[in-house]
Amino acid sequence: MMRPRTKKILFSFSLLVFLFFYIPIIFVVIFSFNDSKLGTVWTGFTLEWYGSILQNKQLISATMNSIYLAVITTIISTILGTLAALALHRYTFIGKKSVEFLFYIPVVIPDIVVAVALLAIYGLLNMSLGLNTAVPGHVAITISYVMLVVLARLSSFDNSLEEAAKDLGANEWQTFWKVTFPLIFPGVLAGALLAFTISLDEFVISFFTLGPGDNTLPVLVYSMVRLGVSPEVNVLSTIIIAIMFIVVFVVGLRMRKGGEAK
Amino acid sequence: MSVQMVQLEHVTKEFDEANVVDDINLDIRAGEFLTLLGPSGCGKTTTLRMIAGFEKPTSGKILLNGKQVDDMEPYKREVNTVFQSYSLFPHMNVYDNVAFGLKMKKVGKDEIRERVTKALKLVQLEEYGNRKPKQLSGGQQQRIAIARAIVNNPKVLLLDEPLGALDLKLRKQMQLELKHLQQTLGITFIYVTHDQEEALTMSDRIVVMNKGKIEQIGLPREIYENPTTRFVADFIGQTNIIEGTVTAINGDKATMEFSGQTIEIPNSQNVALNEEAFISVRPEKMKASAVPFEGTINLKGTFKERIYVGSVTKIVVTMPNGKELTIHESHDNIEELTNTNDVYVSWNPKNTVVLKK
Repeated sequence: MMRPRTKKILFSFSLLVFLFFYIPIIFVVIFSFNDSKLGTVWTGFTLEWYGSILQNKQLISATMNSIYLAVITTIISTILGTLAALALHRYTFIGKKSVEFLFYIPVVIPDIVVAVALLAIYGLLNMSLGLNTAVPGHVAITISYVMLVVLARLSSFDNSLEEAAKDLGANEWQTFWKVTFPLIFPGVLAGALLAFTISLDEFVISFFTLGPGDNTLPVLVYSMVRLGVSPEVNVLSTIIIAIMFIVVFVVGLRMRKGGEAK
Repeated sequence: MSVQMVQLEHVTKEFDEANVVDDINLDIRAGEFLTLLGPSGCGKTTTLRMIAGFEKPTSGKILLNGKQVDDMEPYKREVNTVFQSYSLFPHMNVYDNVAFGLKMKKVGKDEIRERVTKALKLVQLEEYGNRKPKQLSGGQQQRIAIARAIVNNPKVLLLDEPLGALDLKLRKQMQLELKHLQQTLGITFIYVTHDQEEALTMSDRIVVMNKGKIEQIGLPREIYENPTTRFVADFIGQTNIIEGTVTAINGDKATMEFSGQTIEIPNSQNVALNEEAFISVRPEKMKASAVPFEGTINLKGTFKERIYVGSVTKIVVTMPNGKELTIHESHDNIEELTNTNDVYVSWNPKNTVVLKK
């Protein structure tokens, strides 16, 4: 049993951590309804900024760019990361440990290094920057996450299930789609979601490798904030928070359901 | 003439330059229950996996129903396997697990339903089609694994220690069920186990393996009562292996000297004058008594201890050279023996088995 005093201290500490995380977010949400252009003093309630944001063409195109990049990145990273995980799980080869280690490096390497390196390569190849030049950078930093998550899922995968499938007449292709993939799917989905959010959130690489006219949401917000935090930025943040909240909630609910079915 | 269902010809499997299976020749008849028996690492599971197609032999040939299959993919072979860990697909319910093989073979929906229902009925789990494997007990999962294999009407069913994870009582029950199932279906069963009692209970023939080689092939009774090698005698059941020097050979009999006494043994190709010979006598064939028995072999020793083990009492007698012999006596036959007594260990000469050196 925990002593009542210890329990109280622990509770207060947890509460402080919680507040530390959420107070800024709550402020952003509240000030998105603030009837003032300056955004630091509360002057009254309004929905005006929610209307004006829909008219902001720059913002809309940046949002579309961000989603486009995130979708392309997620598709490429999920496929390649899953295949890499399957290869590392299934085969033993010389230098396997080193290859595995190489996949961990992008997780710890600063984004700025990836950004600068890519910029140097593009310069070397004389490529002009555009929206798609940000894709390789986004893939490079997200692919490791997908691979690690899928590899973790595979570590609990019983290889004799594949043998059982083949024993029952399934060829390699059928075995993969009927047995292996359904069983690693939660890992693949988690990896894809990670890749999507990381890409949506990515600033440094996008900032360096996007073409002059192309903006993603984080890059646009950065340029907007340089002129002071406008209520529109608060509105945008609120919308993103709401979307993320719903996504996490739905995924959490589904995972819980899946857990019970087992 | 019986049909050869599976034939192994000089099959060898190397892993990391060690021969896990070493030049095995084996013919398995159609419809027989054959058990590969041996300690872990003897190559029995590898042999089974080569028949299933999960491993390719390093050299040698495997024939299935007369057709050479050693390069054939597992999904093309007319064999099915019951795995040690059951390996049921956790994301499918029981029905879909059992139907998997038929769906892969593109069998019609109605026929699948009919055959799956029949297979589930055969293992007495027809009510469980909608359950997930995790919702079943170990014994039930085992039965589903069997149903999933036999629903395909395989020519050969391979079973890799399928009862290993079950508790003793359930295992005994399943042994008999499997044996009856095999008799009903008439399918060739190749069964791998390290449990000698299981092998004796279920098999038509037993193949005893050790270190990648076949030690002996025979009926359960032959294997138990006439082991040919020291390994088989020692591995199957309990036995007393007695080592002595042959001092005389006289026709079909020979005399062996052991611990200052003589034992009459049958003459065989494993017996040579002035050389070492090994014999095996089962503990339940021996008696311990205070006076020697007429017409039997008698060895004199001293009483060491008596151990009650439930079904029998074990009596341990020490020979003059320090060798200990173990005798199993039924409880009502025990004479009062104390450690001050000289004890005579006796057995009928026909129960002496001469082993290969």
